[in-house]
Amino acid sequence: MSVLRIHPEKCTGCLRCELACSYMQTGDFQPAKSVIRVSPFEGHTSYAPYTCTQCAEGWCMTACPVGAITINAVGAKDVLDDRCVGCKLCTIACPYGTMFYDPATRKAFKCNLCGGAPACAEACPTAAITYEDVTTEDWLGDFARERTERVLTGVQ
Amino acid sequence: MAARHLIIGGGTAGMNAIRTIREEESERSAITLVSAENPYSRMVLPYYLDRSIAESHVFTATGKVLADWGVTTHLGKRATTLDTKANVCTLEDGTTVAYDDCLIATGSSAVRAPVPGADGPGVHSFWTLDQARGVIAQIQPGSHVVMVGAGFIAFTILNSILALGAKLTIVEVAPRILPRMIDDIGAQLVEAWLKKHGVAIRTGAKLTRIDDLKRRRRLKMAAGGDLVADVVIMATGIRTNLDWLKGAGVTIKQGIVVDDHLRSSVPNVYAAGDVAEGRDLISQANAVHAIEPTAQEHGRVVGANMAGKDIRYRGSLIINIVEVCHLDVASFGAWDDAQAEAASGVKADRPAYRKLLWRGDRLTGAIILGPSSDIWTTNDVGMLKGLVQSGVSLGRWKAHLKKNPFDVKPAFIATKTTSALLPVTILGRPSKAPGETPVAV
Repeated sequence: MSVLRIHPEKCTGCLRCELACSYMQTGDFQPAKSVIRVSPFEGHTSYAPYTCTQCAEGWCMTACPVGAITINAVGAKDVLDDRCVGCKLCTIACPYGTMFYDPATRKAFKCNLCGGAPACAEACPTAAITYEDVTTEDWLGDFARERTERVLTGVQ
Repeated sequence: MAARHLIIGGGTAGMNAIRTIREEESERSAITLVSAENPYSRMVLPYYLDRSIAESHVFTATGKVLADWGVTTHLGKRATTLDTKANVCTLEDGTTVAYDDCLIATGSSAVRAPVPGADGPGVHSFWTLDQARGVIAQIQPGSHVVMVGAGFIAFTILNSILALGAKLTIVEVAPRILPRMIDDIGAQLVEAWLKKHGVAIRTGAKLTRIDDLKRRRRLKMAAGGDLVADVVIMATGIRTNLDWLKGAGVTIKQGIVVDDHLRSSVPNVYAAGDVAEGRDLISQANAVHAIEPTAQEHGRVVGANMAGKDIRYRGSLIINIVEVCHLDVASFGAWDDAQAEAASGVKADRPAYRKLLWRGDRLTGAIILGPSSDIWTTNDVGMLKGLVQSGVSLGRWKAHLKKNPFDVKPAFIATKTTSALLPVTILGRPSKAPGETPVAV
C-alpha cells in the first residue's frame, strides 16, 4: 500500500499541509482540526509534519469496542462516523498520539489518507510529504535526534 | 474430527477470541458460545444512557452474525459447572457442552455497598444492559440522581446523567474521588472542576442505609446530613464472576492464574479479561486488569492459540480514560508506584496536569488531565501510552521531561519511539478489520 512518506529536512514549517488536511477532513480551513501536525524542533529552527503511520497492529482499530474503525480501500485505518460513539478508547490505545477527538461532533477522527489522494502531500510546496508505495517507517526519529541540542542543553 | 472450542462469556474477551479463531485457523473448527447475555459492549452503555445511540448499537454480534461465523450459541444461560477432567461444561438448564479446549471469560458483576435498602426499589447498578435499561427508564430532566461511589465506572456515566438534565450528587466513602485511577492532586483538580460544573460531591461520606419514601429514596449518611434522591446508582465496585468454578481444579488467586499463552493451570482451559490473572507489561508480575483493552488483547491471544498458533503475550498495560464535563482524565501503567521517580506539573491558566513516573530512564506510568478541546491533551495521551508501552530508553530526555512534563512530543519523536513501536503486533501479523472475520461457507 502507499503511505505518507515524510522528508523532514524539506519542511519549511509553512503549515499548508495542516490547512489542506483540515479542509479535506472537515470542510473548514481550521488547522486545529488537521490530523497532520507540524512540530518545531530546536527552538523553531526546523520543522517536520507528524501523522498516523497506518501501523500494522492498528491499535485504534483493535481497541474500538463497536468496530467503528476499519481499513478503507487504500489500506488506511478509518473511523466510521455512524458507528463511533466517542468513548476515546482509541485515543489511549494508539501509542503514536495520532488519534484525534472532535468535541463538537463527539467522534474520533484520524488520517485516512484522504481515500488515496492525500491533500497534505498535494499541498506541500517542497515535497516534504509524498504519497508512495513504500513500507511505513519512523520518518522523523533521526531528524529529531540530530536537532535536540538546544532543547536538551538549554542553549538558545 | 474438527476441534471443538467452547467460549464461556460473550463479552469483549469472548467475542475477540471467536473472531480470532476464525481468522487464524487452517481448518474450520466447531465453536460454541455460552453467554448469560446477548453479546454487547459495556463500554458504550453510557452513550445509550444519554440516548446518543440506539439500543441496537450496543450489540457486538447479532444472531445472524454469529450464524455467519458458524458459532453454535447458548445465549441467556449461565455455565454452572466445569468438569475439567471430562472436558464438559454444564449450563444452568442442565445442557452439557463437551469441548477440546475452552475459554473462561465470564467477566465481572457490579457489587453494591452492604447497607440496608441497597437492593430496594429505585436503587440501581449500571453495569449490564438490563441495568442500563432500568436507569434509563428512571432518569427524567430535573431528577436528583445520587451516585454512590466515585470510581471509574461512576465517572463513565457522569456526562450522560448531566446530559439528561438531571441534578447529580456523588457520595464517596473514601477521602477523595477516583482512588484507583489518579493521584491526590489529579483528584483535587477533577473534584474542583466538577463542582464548578454543578456536580455536588461529598467525599469521606459514609452511607448507612437507604429508605424508601414511596417515589423517592432517603440516603441516611453517618454525618453531614441525609440526601433525598429520585434515583440512586450504586457504582461501588465490581467482582469477578468466578464462584461457579469452585471444584473445577483451575488455580485461582485474585483471578484465574494464566501463563504467557493465557492458559490456566489446566492446559486446555484458557482465561481472558476480568477473570484472568495474567502478566502486567510493566511489572511482569501477575495481576488482574479488569479493563476493556486487556479483555480485547487477551481474547485475541487466546483465539490465536486455540486455533493452533503459538502466541506469547507480553503482558497487559493498565490504561484508563474518562471525559467529564469536557475534561479528559487518563492514566497509564504504574501511575501509583511509590518507589518510582516522579515529576509533575500543573498549568496555572487551564485545568491541565501531568505526572510522569520512571524506573531508571524508562517511563513506567503517567497521569494526564486536560481540556478535551485541547489537541495536545489527546495527542499526548497517545504518546505517553507509547512511551510506557514501548519502554524506550529516554536518556537525556528524562531530565528534560522532569523539568517540562508537558513537552512530550519532542521526547517521543527524538527517542525514536515510533521505530520501537512499528514492528510490534499482538498476533505477529497485521490486524484485520472488524468486517474481515471469515464467514461460514
